[in-house]
Amino acid sequence: MSLSTLALSQWIVARLMPPAQAEALIGDLLEERRLLLQAGSRVSVAGWYWRQLASSVPVLLWASMRRGAWLVTVVTAVASFFAAMGIQLVLNSALRPMTTSSFARDVLMFLSFAAALAACGYVAASIRLGAARLLAFLVFAATVAMLAISTRAPLWYEGSLLVVGPLATIAGATLSGRRRRVWL
Amino acid sequence: MPRGEFLGSLEQIVMLAVMRLGADAYGMTVRREIEARTGREISIGAVYATLERLEAKGYVSSFTGEPTAERGGRAKRHFEIEAAGHQALNASQNALRSMSEGLSRRLKRA
Repeated sequence: MSLSTLALSQWIVARLMPPAQAEALIGDLLEERRLLLQAGSRVSVAGWYWRQLASSVPVLLWASMRRGAWLVTVVTAVASFFAAMGIQLVLNSALRPMTTSSFARDVLMFLSFAAALAACGYVAASIRLGAARLLAFLVFAATVAMLAISTRAPLWYEGSLLVVGPLATIAGATLSGRRRRVWL
Repeated sequence: MPRGEFLGSLEQIVMLAVMRLGADAYGMTVRREIEARTGREISIGAVYATLERLEAKGYVSSFTGEPTAERGGRAKRHFEIEAAGHQALNASQNALRSMSEGLSRRLKRA
């Protein structure tokens, strides 16, 4: 089995189970795969391996929801999202009177957007790592939706929001001390 | 076992497999035992999810074995049935036996 295939299956299982259980499950799959390879072809065994994994995902997903892990992740991400929007609103109204130039206002809004998301990404990752990733996705989706509705802002500004929003969230999460795992 | 609560069919099947396998009960062997005896294909994820549920109820317990080379250096997670699990399984099996009593001819016909 190629390293990338193994890494992918490990990555999937690790998202759905506690680490010790995920290790045991992957070990079981590898052990049985080894047994099957003695009698079957590589292709059929690879098919069996992925069938096992694919049919395991819905069950493990449901089990992880019952464990409450997903609920906490979703609630943390959504709460962090609204907190970031709130912080940004407060920063905007505080910074707006400081300048009359529209360019400077755009830059200040941009900076407050990034700072609010970095702070909330930090908090979300401190509670649950997955929440920071989900928050980055929510920010991306919300920015796309916002830009689709309103196109008054300059193009550089719109494009930068799309990239900087999720990046600021992940950067904040990285600062929470889970540096290596946040990107995986 | 709380009053009125019976084990589900998969829970019973998994527990019976663990019981049959004894000291050799871990994810892969449980899955293979179920497939071999019932002819029913079952995913390793379903086995683990069921065992996790049973463990949360206090019916089975688990411990980690030594890592082995054929598992890519990963340890096995062994399972064993607890006293409460034996009681729950007995109660569920008795209920099923009691419900099917006298119905053998009709069950054969179906």
